[in-house]
Amino acid sequence: MTPLRMRLEQWREYNKISEAGKIARRAFANNSFDGVLTMIGVVMGNFVVGVQEATVVLVTGLSTALAIGISGGWGAYLTESAERSHAVGELEQFTLTELRDTKIGKASRAAVWLVAAVDGLSPFLSALLVVAPFFFAPLLPSVAYAYYASIGMAMLALFGLGIYLGRISQRNWILSGIKTMIVGVICIGLSYFLEQVTRSP
Amino acid sequence: MMGRIRRLVLDTLKPHDPSIIELAQSLSELDGIEAVNISIYEMDRKVENAKITIEGSDIQFESIMEIISDNGGAVHSIDEVVAGKIIIDDASTPQDPYQG
Repeated sequence: MTPLRMRLEQWREYNKISEAGKIARRAFANNSFDGVLTMIGVVMGNFVVGVQEATVVLVTGLSTALAIGISGGWGAYLTESAERSHAVGELEQFTLTELRDTKIGKASRAAVWLVAAVDGLSPFLSALLVVAPFFFAPLLPSVAYAYYASIGMAMLALFGLGIYLGRISQRNWILSGIKTMIVGVICIGLSYFLEQVTRSP
Repeated sequence: MMGRIRRLVLDTLKPHDPSIIELAQSLSELDGIEAVNISIYEMDRKVENAKITIEGSDIQFESIMEIISDNGGAVHSIDEVVAGKIIIDDASTPQDPYQG
């Protein structure tokens, strides 16, 4: 067996013990959704107040993306490791043996890292995807195109997430995609509403 | 040189996961082992009692213990050992309890 194959086999076994894959899948969908919607908020906030400089949107967007990535990863690491060590400790009371260096302990630690990585990377990458058109703003005729492209990307990402969730739940995936897109539309509507409310004398 | 262990019967306590399928597979992959049988005789909320029977041409006890503990299990007792050139069962004597 090659080292890579052995490593994959080990991960498969750890996943079976810790059920990390299932948790990571849920974290991926949940946090990507968070990342996209947060970025819709940032982009729409800039758009409704009329920010014309792409770098302002880019820096605000990237800072937010980093912050939610760190928050997601760090938070998941802390909560997951607390939960996992509690579960292993509880099991040790039944087996009356130390489980730290067993497959159970190793699977538990691997699960913490996997879930933390997914929790951190998924909102960061999904947020980066939404703000990405602003990288190309100098090549576009006006910054408005970057705004439209960014919102278009966000809608596409939400639709994709809806499809992904629809496929997991084995329901109508197009309907599921449309449902998640509606959430994005609501966010956009609320940004406009907020701008109207704050601008009115 | 020590005699070769041909059969080993262990009473163990182990968590539900890794399952006895993985445990049996891991044990059967060891050198000198020809067959493994694991049966659960008691089930608890978090753990289960498993009787592990191993047969082979040269069973390495330390390796068996290592695999069992790596899977989170603990050996409660060694219930039977057969060593030598062939496998023999325990001889019946008049003192044995009646099993009719």
